[in-house]
Amino acid sequence: MTRSERNWLLVAPAAAWFVVMLVLPLSVIFVFSFGERGPAGGYVPAFTLEQYANLPARFTAFKNTMILAPVGTIAAMLIAYPLAYQLAVRTDPKWKTILLVLVIVPFWTSILIRSYAWIFILGGRGLPALLEMVGIEGVRLIYTPFAVLIGIIYGYLPLMVFPIYVSLDRLDKRLLEASADLGAKPLRTFLTVTLPLSIPGVATGCMLVFILLMGEFLIPALLGGGKVFFVGNALVDLFLQSRNWAFGSAVAFTLIVIMLVTVTVYMRVIARLQSGRDDVSIM
Amino acid sequence: MAHIPVDLQYTANKQSDSRPPIAALRNVSKVFGSVIAADALNLSIAQGEFLSFLGPSGCGKTTALRMLAGFEAPTSGDVLIDGQAVNDLEPYRRPVNMVFQSYALFPHLNVSDNIGYGLRQRRPRLSRGEIAGKVGRALEIVRLTGFESRRVWEMSGGQQQRVALARAIVNEPKLLLLDEPLAALDRKLRKEMQIELQDLQRQIGITFVLVTHDQEEALSLSDRICVMRGGRIVQTGSPQDLYDQPKSRYVADFVGTSNFFDGTIDAVVDGIATLATRSGLRLQGAATAGLSVGAAVCLSVRPEQIRMSRDAVPGGLACTVHNRIFLGEHTEYLVQHPALGTVNVLTPRLIESGDMSFQTGEQVHINWNPGRALVLSPD
Ligand SMILES: Nc1ncnc2c1ncn2[C@@H]1O[C@H](COP(=O)(O)OP(=O)(O)OP(=O)(O)O)[C@@H](O)[C@H]1O
Ligand SMILES: [Mg+2]
Repeated sequence: MTRSERNWLLVAPAAAWFVVMLVLPLSVIFVFSFGERGPAGGYVPAFTLEQYANLPARFTAFKNTMILAPVGTIAAMLIAYPLAYQLAVRTDPKWKTILLVLVIVPFWTSILIRSYAWIFILGGRGLPALLEMVGIEGVRLIYTPFAVLIGIIYGYLPLMVFPIYVSLDRLDKRLLEASADLGAKPLRTFLTVTLPLSIPGVATGCMLVFILLMGEFLIPALLGGGKVFFVGNALVDLFLQSRNWAFGSAVAFTLIVIMLVTVTVYMRVIARLQSGRDDVSIM
Repeated sequence: MAHIPVDLQYTANKQSDSRPPIAALRNVSKVFGSVIAADALNLSIAQGEFLSFLGPSGCGKTTALRMLAGFEAPTSGDVLIDGQAVNDLEPYRRPVNMVFQSYALFPHLNVSDNIGYGLRQRRPRLSRGEIAGKVGRALEIVRLTGFESRRVWEMSGGQQQRVALARAIVNEPKLLLLDEPLAALDRKLRKEMQIELQDLQRQIGITFVLVTHDQEEALSLSDRICVMRGGRIVQTGSPQDLYDQPKSRYVADFVGTSNFFDGTIDAVVDGIATLATRSGLRLQGAATAGLSVGAAVCLSVRPEQIRMSRDAVPGGLACTVHNRIFLGEHTEYLVQHPALGTVNVLTPRLIESGDMSFQTGEQVHINWNPGRALVLSPD
């Protein structure tokens, strides 16, 4: 066996995984998106751009996703950062593990069940009822974009906390002392040392959450109540209810392209921010 | 001490005595839980001097330094800088800079941004030009001109060390604190950097406080050394003082090497004490203050103070040459005495030449001038 043959053999499992998990489904979607819906639903082979021409019918889903996914990501990041900072920098090491576990605990139950709790909290007999008692009437929370945003932040917070926590925990605490020693006040130290050195964690967290949010359907379904829906909900509808696979494939493929473009641009920007450093990497 | 003429160093010390103290510790203690890391430290640091804290691991050197830098507040006592108590003054308000043991350079900044970091914190702000000028001069001093835009992790250990040094001195601190700055370097580089450090200190005239557990480093660099033990300062003095007049066996042992013989004082005549060892031998040495007849003591005789001859001498001890180690300009002999055990003798090449060279197994007699041996407290 030559060296290059051996290399091929070693790469084979990864290549197979790549083909089965990524290339194959994507190809199917790509091919389907040029087809037509059969009389009883499903897919009939064809070559037409009709499905893509029909995309504006789902404009609202795209609009909601493209607004709430980035807003949710940023909101989750803004809440996760102080939390991760407190855990990594301020907490006594002997409490760290316990507190970290508390961050993970919500992951042990399904998002479905946890979202139901929010349906109650935001619903008529929850927060609005409380507000009414203090004289603020007519507040509607459930089935609004706000409710979906709350659900997103709540659901994805742990995923954001972890990478940020890791990058802050890894940060050499003597760098903070060195900064103070050189005359920087705490806020300056945070802005010029802590923050730049935790960017990799923030970048990773944002990317993870953003990608998952682009395909989210459960939270909008539960907390948006059919009024605030994502592309994910449109796909559920097209594939499972109306069984229009061709149009569903066109929608799905468009979403994938949008995601690829966004993530590529994002990686470029982060790479530029971190240019020339080998002590950090994105993901 | 190879590169400091002895008489010059004495004048340096005399000067330092008259200079006003730039910093001081007054009865400073620091307790961590049940550990007393610093125990009633008293010390004045003179303007422009090179002071070292010397002691074994865990004796509280870093703690003392960190209290000067402001990273730890003393549990009791006062830290003074420029005559002001600064116990609770934050590190970023102190005119003090520190070179950390592992340098703690900022990995996301290049060399000149690392060095300019302290300057950029100044209020009122310095102009870009001023900062660039000062950074350039600091780079010149540490001989790193041309490395401005290098990433710090692309530098060798010695270069990183110099960046750390430049980052501190560029701020012209009143006090420069160095926590084992050379410990991570190999022996050769450490020697070079020691010389550079000393030249630098003379050149810029900043007060240096160095922490080290390397006695050679402390001896060769410092104007004054603080020997520490278990959180206490046991003796402070110039390298010569500590070497020639140690106040305890601990200091004599830590600063240089010595032979120690335990015994009790039998008599003191004209400042010369005679002590009796347990085996009944009578040995003589200069009595130090506070020791009286009957006290358990320890006689310290430096290897280079011992004379060795083939012929019996009055008061000499008969020994067998056990080992001979050629050291270039000196020869070290390990000789065996039946009661005292192994004695270390250092003879200069000059005397040792010709028939004065001794062979392993040979019978010899050793003696010393009682005035050049010290009777010390045994701890
Ligand atoms: N933050 C801390 N918490 C608890 N104990 C500490 C702390 N810092 C130091 N100590 C203890 O105080 C004592 C002195 O420590 P210090 O670091 O000053 O020693 P050192 O002389 O610098 O030793 P080394 O040469 O090993 O660096 C040690 O017993 C150490 O365990
Ligand atoms: Mg230390």
